[in-house]
Amino acid sequence: MTDAILFWFLAFVTVGAGLSVVLMSNPIYSALSLAMTMVGVSALFVTLGAFFLAGVQLIVYAGAVMVLFVMVIMLFDLKHEIQAFTRGKITGAVKIASVGILAGLVVGAITLSTKAIELSQKTQADADTGKTYADNTMALAQNLFLQNVFGFEALGVLLLVIAVGTVALSRSRGGTHARD
Amino acid sequence: MMDMGSTPFEITINVVKTVLVFLMMVQLVPILVWVERRGSAFIQNRFGPNRIGPLGLMQLLADAVKFLTKEDFVPDKGNKYLFYAAPIFALIPASIAYMAIPMSTPLLIGDSKFLIQGFEVNVGIVFILGVSSLAAYTILMAGWGSGSKFALMGAMRASAQIISYELALGLSIVGVIMTYGTFNLSEMIAQQQGFLTFNGFGSTLTMPLPNWGIFFQPLGALIFFAAAFAESNRLPFDLAEGEAELVAGFHTEYGGFKMLMFFIGEYGHMMIASGLFATFFLGGYNIPWTTVQGVHDWLASFGFSADLTNVLNTVLHFLMYNVKFLILLWIFIHVRWTLPRFRYDQLMDLGWKTMLPWALANTILTSIVIFAAAQFAF
Repeated sequence: MTDAILFWFLAFVTVGAGLSVVLMSNPIYSALSLAMTMVGVSALFVTLGAFFLAGVQLIVYAGAVMVLFVMVIMLFDLKHEIQAFTRGKITGAVKIASVGILAGLVVGAITLSTKAIELSQKTQADADTGKTYADNTMALAQNLFLQNVFGFEALGVLLLVIAVGTVALSRSRGGTHARD
Repeated sequence: MMDMGSTPFEITINVVKTVLVFLMMVQLVPILVWVERRGSAFIQNRFGPNRIGPLGLMQLLADAVKFLTKEDFVPDKGNKYLFYAAPIFALIPASIAYMAIPMSTPLLIGDSKFLIQGFEVNVGIVFILGVSSLAAYTILMAGWGSGSKFALMGAMRASAQIISYELALGLSIVGVIMTYGTFNLSEMIAQQQGFLTFNGFGSTLTMPLPNWGIFFQPLGALIFFAAAFAESNRLPFDLAEGEAELVAGFHTEYGGFKMLMFFIGEYGHMMIASGLFATFFLGGYNIPWTTVQGVHDWLASFGFSADLTNVLNTVLHFLMYNVKFLILLWIFIHVRWTLPRFRYDQLMDLGWKTMLPWALANTILTSIVIFAAAQFAF
């Protein structure tokens, strides 16, 4: 009962914040709503017992990536952007298209979730036989560092390439630290 | 799943605990403000607030009344919604994160077990870091919502600083996590009981020191301590509100109770840092040189009933936690009135070029030592 209330509350907050990312005309509100969506998703992870994933979601996405987004947006003069978001045929078309995609996602999620409920009723029997969520951090680590270590390291190298590439690009024509 | 309330009794207890911990945090703030003002006066050879009530203690009450009756001011060019939302959001990360810190040994009465903390999360550290990293938003909201250059600049500085030092803070804890082999704060504290004991290389070495994390992770403790100052935006890292350059940083436009809420948030971060430092490096609520069971047996030897023994045991450990907690808070205040402020480039150099590499080195060194100690024997 409490789980159901918690789930519907969190789902409402997450989906509402996600909708306002698209519907807000002010980019800052959109960015803050996206941060709120991240927080909502991590809270949903907590209700599913994935504590470590929830914490990482909070630290990495909500706490670092989105903060940088918000910081950069706040440094711009936004009057022009707000107008561009509210008027114009192209943005209108983009809005209608994104509403369509969102509607498709919602319908897809609902049809999938009915299957997920059937699945969870099956796994509920497993859960009742004494399996706990306590040590899923260790299971996650074993999955990442023993079974899928190659893909994990490859992703790490890719991210490093991105970071180095960003620095190289920003410095190529003098960049922000030009000294002449 | 977890003890989040499967019965009405558990739900009630959890709600009461949540309110209690929050009230404790909020009530500690005026006392800390008083200590900060009197302490700074003591350091600077002044009197400080000493007119209202004994030792000036009633000054807090007078301040609160003044804050509550001030004009509710919103800047004309600002964003009203963000301006009002920011101080309220400032309270949330600090108070939620503090609730995950265990403050005493669990109280056993009959069949019930009461945890002396808001709630137990199995990945306590990750949870606390995650929640408290959201504090950057409140600063950005305040800075942008004020519609003022000073406030925006202060907010940019503060949030850039928080993001930079979060890396060093997180990495300094990785060594601690590897040493104890758990994310759970209660299990960490349970491993810090008794005398200092090194297990490894096929032998055991015991020393007449408390079994505290600071002796296993001295470098990690130092980096964590320095990064915690930066995270709570206090001197020597309070670039966000450098008075000479930025008036008061992101809360330039705030007055009255809204500013007080930012204050509570800042002190909340100080409390989280102190609580975490005590938990990781100073044995948490453990009384030095003894174990929880040892104290329990000592109390039982006076012939108390079982329930009373448990209550006294919990109270004793709670007092011990508070002693460590308050000493650390005093160190925070003392440092603020002793050290000058960094320049901004020095701050970023310290964060990225000094503390981050040392934290990484600490992680690697710790993992090598743990591996060697488990594999080889002399």
